[in-house]
Amino acid sequence: MAWDTNGKMTRKLLNKTTYSFLIYSVIILLIAAPVFYFISQWLYIYETDEVLLFHKGAFAKESKEDFTESDIAAWNKYNRDVEIVGDMGVTKDSIVGKMLFDSIANEKEPFRILYSPVTINGKKFTYIEKSNLVEMEGMVFSIASMFIIIIIILLVGIIILSKRLASKIWKPFYDTLKQIEDFEIDKNKPPHFTPTSIDEFDRLNKSLERLIEKNTAIYKSQREFVENAAHELQTPLALFQTKIDTLSQLPNLTKEHSQLLGSLNNDVSRLNRLNKNLLLLSKIENDSYFEKQPVILNDYIKKHLDFFSEQAKSKSISIVVEFNKPLQINSNPVLTEVLINNLFLNAIRHNSKDGKIIIRTSDKTITFSNTGPETSLNINKLFNRFSKSDPSAQGNGLGLAIVKKIVELNNWNITYNFQDGLHSFTVQFEFSTT
Amino acid sequence: MKILIIEDESEIAVSIKDYFKPNGVHCEMAGNYKEAMDKINMYDYDCILLDLMLPDGDGFDILKELKLRNKTEGVIIISAKETLDTRIEGFNLGADDYLTKPFHLSELLVRIQALIRRKNFKGNNIITFNEISIDIFAKTVTVNNNTLDITKKEIDLLLFLIGNENKVLSKGAIAEHLSGDMADMLDNHDFVYAHIKNLKKKLSKAGSGDYIKTVYGLGYKWQND
Repeated sequence: MAWDTNGKMTRKLLNKTTYSFLIYSVIILLIAAPVFYFISQWLYIYETDEVLLFHKGAFAKESKEDFTESDIAAWNKYNRDVEIVGDMGVTKDSIVGKMLFDSIANEKEPFRILYSPVTINGKKFTYIEKSNLVEMEGMVFSIASMFIIIIIILLVGIIILSKRLASKIWKPFYDTLKQIEDFEIDKNKPPHFTPTSIDEFDRLNKSLERLIEKNTAIYKSQREFVENAAHELQTPLALFQTKIDTLSQLPNLTKEHSQLLGSLNNDVSRLNRLNKNLLLLSKIENDSYFEKQPVILNDYIKKHLDFFSEQAKSKSISIVVEFNKPLQINSNPVLTEVLINNLFLNAIRHNSKDGKIIIRTSDKTITFSNTGPETSLNINKLFNRFSKSDPSAQGNGLGLAIVKKIVELNNWNITYNFQDGLHSFTVQFEFSTT
Repeated sequence: MKILIIEDESEIAVSIKDYFKPNGVHCEMAGNYKEAMDKINMYDYDCILLDLMLPDGDGFDILKELKLRNKTEGVIIISAKETLDTRIEGFNLGADDYLTKPFHLSELLVRIQALIRRKNFKGNNIITFNEISIDIFAKTVTVNNNTLDITKKEIDLLLFLIGNENKVLSKGAIAEHLSGDMADMLDNHDFVYAHIKNLKKKLSKAGSGDYIKTVYGLGYKWQND
């Protein structure tokens, strides 16, 4: 049993069918038990009455011819259950159930009593025979307990059998389910379904295979399109750039011309940056293998601190570096540098004037904290492509998307939090998904 | 100085040629593999600019041919391809430098100058401009024999400006030159102003002429007037 994302209880398919069987069996049992009890009781009484009538029939047939008054007294004396009494006004056979005191058992017990008219020597008498029903209770109890034992054996059998059978039948389904659960379209690992002889599951597998194949192809061409497009853009961009450079050299440029050229220059370099980031992003997505080697993050940051300080200078941002001991990771050096650069420049770009950046490393984590906007950023959109918290900002909205991709590629983890006016991004290296 | 531009995009080749001409660099152009090999066989160049994707061949094949013929031309690859693998393969085949498209013409010019300096090195590692002397290996700058207290980055900037004499250099081009590998990430070129200001101050303090002109709204220019 488990709970799904909506908090609703979900139940396994196998249990569901077994539960239905069980519930049906219990209902039938509950209805059947009293009915069974009453029927067996009725049958017993019916049989007892039959016996009473039979006795009486035998008495009438065999004994009445030569019975005298004194014989009747003797009969009554020696028969415990049968009594011949004077006419009680009974005209036909009647049987009643009564609780009578039994002298032997010394308590009241249920009896069936037959009252029947008999004629002996032309004189009318009433034949009374009683039969103790005390045996019935015992019999009903033994039948009921046998019944319960059979039912229990039956139920347990149903549960075990249905579980066995169902898990055997549904095995290919669970195999398929596991495969799909493990499938990720951006990883180059198509699911491999185990062949099955059950027609429905075979069809399911084939349809899934087709669906996945088609979607993977679409996804692949989509990814390649981005890479190809970005690549093709490089030549016109190069032309654009060289022509602006050439144009800038023309003599007698007015102030207006220079200003226009200056802003054109900014535009083309922004375009260029965007294009390069797109290329990088699709490269991370498309290439599954990047060579890894040990990288010491502290050394890299220290080496390039001058560069970043320079970038931070125009906003008078102070940079605090808190390194305890060297943080060494095993990863692709180029991608790791891109990761650090993006996080660092991100902390500069979105900082406020006279702000602060704190870079902290621990055993297996690195944290970039920076001052900036007063409110927490939207964590859901933060790592999406082209999502910008501030639309007027200079960045192209790809920096954190690239960071996220690199983190995912290495099976690391990145978290964001906002506390005490500091926006913090923490990368956790060697993150295990337990 | 004579260079060969092997580039199938003729407009880029023409732009390079026009840009370099006033700075004493003579350019010849080849638009495909065959033309390029013909010119390489017939003439000697100081430097070859090589695009890797040619309509009738691969730029790497030209590198292999050059190696086979023991040609000593310096080669700068100019390519839109930007993978680490192509870069490494290019260097392994004997290329001297690698510049990814798009690039600034000013950047290409100083790369060519640096390459030729390295190739023709004859014990001379001093670049002089009027009263200014730059020792490239010792990383020192003197003005009228007074040594300046100058940072590595400022020397780099000075070389870039002098190398692009009389060219208007956009702030972006300067920023990208100074940031090297990091250039692709920069979205703010404000730090260029601080470097220019410091360099100007140091040069004029040492008695140098004011060669750095500000081009309003666009950038700076090194001009001898």
